[in-house]
Amino acid sequence: MNLARIAALAHKEWREIVRDRLFLALAFVVPAALMLVFGYGLSLDVEHIPFAVVDHDRSALSRDYTHRFIDSRYFDYRGHVKSERELDPLLADSRIRFAIVVPPKFEENLMAGRPAAVQSLIDGTFPFRASTSKGYVIAINAAFNGELLAAYISRRFGVAPERAAALAQPVRVQLRYLYNQELKSTWSIATALVMLVLMVAPPFLTALGVVREKESGSIYNIYASTVTRGEFLAGKLLPYVGISIVNSLILWALATGLFGVPFKGDPLFFFLSSVIYVTCTTGIGLLASLIVRTQVAAMMLTVVMTIIPSVLYSGLLVPIASMDPQGQFEAHLFPAMYFTDIALGSFLKGVGLEQLWGKALALAIYAAVLWLISFALFHKRPRT
Amino acid sequence: MGEAAPLTPAPAVRVQGFGKRYRRQAAVAGVDLEVRRGEIYGLIGPDGAGKSSLMKAVAGVLAFEEGSIEMFGIRIDSEAAAERVKGRLGFMPQGLGLNLYPELSVEENIDFFARLRGVPAAEIAARKAKLLAMTRLDRFTGRPMKHLSGGMKQKLGLVCTLIHEPELIVLDEPTTGVDPVSRRDFWAILAELLREKGITALISTAYMDEAERFHRLSLMHGGRVLASGEPDAIRARTPGSVVELEAEPQVEALDRIQASLAQAESVGPRLRVFVDDAAPEAAVGTVAGLLKGLSLRDLHATTPDLEDAFVALLRRQRLVEERVVAKPRAGDGDPPGDDVAILAKDLTRDFDGFRAVDRASFTVHQGDIFGLVGANGAGKTTLIKMLTGILPPSDGEGRVAGADMHFAAQAIKARIGYTSQAFSLYQDLSVLENLRLYARIYGVARHAAGERIEQVAELTGLTGRERQLAGRLPLGIRQRLALACALVHRPRILFLDEPTSGVDPIGRRRFWDILVHLARVEQVAILITTHYMSEAEHCDRLALMHAGRIVADDPPAALKQALREEAGELLEVATDRPLAAMALLEQAGFAGVALFGRHIHLFARDAHTATREIQTILAGRGIGLASVTPRPPSLEDVFVYRITALEQGEQRL
Repeated sequence: MNLARIAALAHKEWREIVRDRLFLALAFVVPAALMLVFGYGLSLDVEHIPFAVVDHDRSALSRDYTHRFIDSRYFDYRGHVKSERELDPLLADSRIRFAIVVPPKFEENLMAGRPAAVQSLIDGTFPFRASTSKGYVIAINAAFNGELLAAYISRRFGVAPERAAALAQPVRVQLRYLYNQELKSTWSIATALVMLVLMVAPPFLTALGVVREKESGSIYNIYASTVTRGEFLAGKLLPYVGISIVNSLILWALATGLFGVPFKGDPLFFFLSSVIYVTCTTGIGLLASLIVRTQVAAMMLTVVMTIIPSVLYSGLLVPIASMDPQGQFEAHLFPAMYFTDIALGSFLKGVGLEQLWGKALALAIYAAVLWLISFALFHKRPRT
Repeated sequence: MGEAAPLTPAPAVRVQGFGKRYRRQAAVAGVDLEVRRGEIYGLIGPDGAGKSSLMKAVAGVLAFEEGSIEMFGIRIDSEAAAERVKGRLGFMPQGLGLNLYPELSVEENIDFFARLRGVPAAEIAARKAKLLAMTRLDRFTGRPMKHLSGGMKQKLGLVCTLIHEPELIVLDEPTTGVDPVSRRDFWAILAELLREKGITALISTAYMDEAERFHRLSLMHGGRVLASGEPDAIRARTPGSVVELEAEPQVEALDRIQASLAQAESVGPRLRVFVDDAAPEAAVGTVAGLLKGLSLRDLHATTPDLEDAFVALLRRQRLVEERVVAKPRAGDGDPPGDDVAILAKDLTRDFDGFRAVDRASFTVHQGDIFGLVGANGAGKTTLIKMLTGILPPSDGEGRVAGADMHFAAQAIKARIGYTSQAFSLYQDLSVLENLRLYARIYGVARHAAGERIEQVAELTGLTGRERQLAGRLPLGIRQRLALACALVHRPRILFLDEPTSGVDPIGRRRFWDILVHLARVEQVAILITTHYMSEAEHCDRLALMHAGRIVADDPPAALKQALREEAGELLEVATDRPLAAMALLEQAGFAGVALFGRHIHLFARDAHTATREIQTILAGRGIGLASVTPRPPSLEDVFVYRITALEQGEQRL
């Protein structure tokens, strides 16, 4: 290894990146922008669902029932309308996403001990939102039923209302959320985004940087000179690894500063893991660049190799544990999962080297394998 | 050729039985050649001849299957073996400045190459200063490479290739796409640098007229070497004479000649005929005999040039495809209406404070072939864009096919045909599908389209290839397809932007046969740009562009006459030490001194006085003088003289 040649290559690469405004933006602006866009846009919390009420009964009990929705923080009350027909246009242009229809004789039936059916209409265009909304409706309805039952027991058996409530619900659930006490999805998402962005941006940069030389023909300067394969790969990729390390710090700052994610773990361990991770993802870009000839093809291949596995198999959307065995197996093949665990552990759980060394080692092995394959694939005297 | 005497060091390059295939397609086969130390060896051939594959293999950047390559006696048969010689080698790949880094400055580019090649830091500054001074790039060291002109990029590429002082340099088409002035400059600098350090060079080019720059060369075609040796020896392989004449009517004269002699073409108003195995007088007699009864003028014989020899070699080796017959058809074409096809008056185009075209005025008549020549960036493309209605002019006016270009851009587009340098057809469609597509795009009526497509296919020699995919056609035939597509809607005017770039000489001749037929028989007006000065001779009028202005606009003969009147006679000086002689003659104040292979070209008012003067100057320094011969100036001489004069004028300002 001739360090002067590596330095010459890295220096040249760095200057090119800095002079090319588009490339520079790609290097530093795009990762932060991705973090902001996804961080604000990909909130999985379902709150403030706009809704309207049709109350055909207009009784004390129907008012009591509908107020449970109106007072909930999960729903945004947008008013009463006279009939179901007036709901259609509201639902159609998304001014409301949920409606509740109380039938006539609601109070009369209930008081007489007959069941009453309340209709709820939920906008099903986003199944995730719809099923969450359904959960809220069922919970509010169950609470109302429980109170009705408790009131009945209290009246029927002449016990105190507290005792009646306990009789009506013999088993109660006591819930406490760990690590993310308020169950803010932003915390988990911002953490996972650090993983996602560092999976996507470095390979893109690297692949474009290498393929650009192939496309223009300047790669022949390398082929025709005495620089060795290892020197070329090291010098060429050093700036990209460096940029990605800086980006990992920027993303960390955005996660903690802007999205308010707590960082409870070991900063040094997390930083070193990030360095290993970006070395690994840079290697993915390098591999992609050696397989294809044009920048367009390089971009397509990097998308396939990075975004898809890291969204599907990192635990970002679906926890690895709840995947089928085949999915779990595939998840273990991609580096995204390991770093997701490291990031979540470091940010939210406050664990470090002791618990996560295995994951960091897996990433290091992954990086080494990628770089070795690339080294083997790169030839200074190719066949075409 | 290379009869190696004992004790001579191994040749710089020895190639034996070289062959390279891509997948199953053979690009090169059976190539033998030997480059001796210190010589400039040329590979000449059109695109697709296999030059690049051979050069890359020699430079050790391409693996190959057949044969062997030795460099300085070391056999290059593996990546590791190639590494062993790379330190002694410089390689410049094809493409104008494409191996340089556009965002880096001139100096940064050179520094990078120097450090990559491990040039000692102490030496970098001195070598850089010297190379920059010789290439006259020293004023532009801080300029980003992307803002250099084509010629400057090429020179920077050369500096970067030479910075580690290699023993052998491999330059792949260094002059393609560079204007004649820059080309000449490049060759002069290269010759000087190589001589000074005793560097060996292997250089490829698609320009036949650059053959004189090489000590020895190989002519390549279709992946094979047709002939190797010194330029004169290659010419001697195809004995014969070239006869030039003017004949009236030209179309009939050409038909008569082509009936019995295969190698004949019209060059502007002249005809040029190669007569096999004939001495000059006999050749003139043969041609005169064929043209009995026609009015002939200026009938004379000249020596064949390398392009003539190349075509003759191909013909003798039966590598020529069947002749394209472009016969006139009675009643074909519209009657010529308005005689003026293009009228440009003070056409001007500004881009953000930069004037790309400056008050261009000219007229093209129906049936004229109008050539536009000039360096890259002289404004040719912008001018064509305005004339074809793609770009509105900032100032001035023009009428194209009777339509005012300010108001009727759409009408203009319907009445013209346009072929760009880049292959603009659909590669995955067949010839016929491409033609049908263009017929529909231009709104040719469905019932008329079939017949018209048949006509243009016949005219451009595509009959029989209708089912072939456009992408699979050889370059020369693809360009004819592009021309056919531009002709489908019977345009009265054709715009052709470097249509023959990279096409082999035979392909170019075919192309011009068709153009001449279109102009002479169908009265189509043709506006064409080219970098081949030999092609410019075909034009009826030639406009020379420089810095957005048209600086000359005349028939080729008049341009040459004007040069004679202005600069004097063109003399070719043959000496045993051309570079030293050149410097002396320049000092002595001769105009237009330039190196042409081993000969020197210069201008002199009076040939006799000048000859005596040259004899005295060279004898004083002990330089042997073989001959001083007056030569008719070529269009390249005109171009170089005019542009150099203009550039010198600008520098004085």
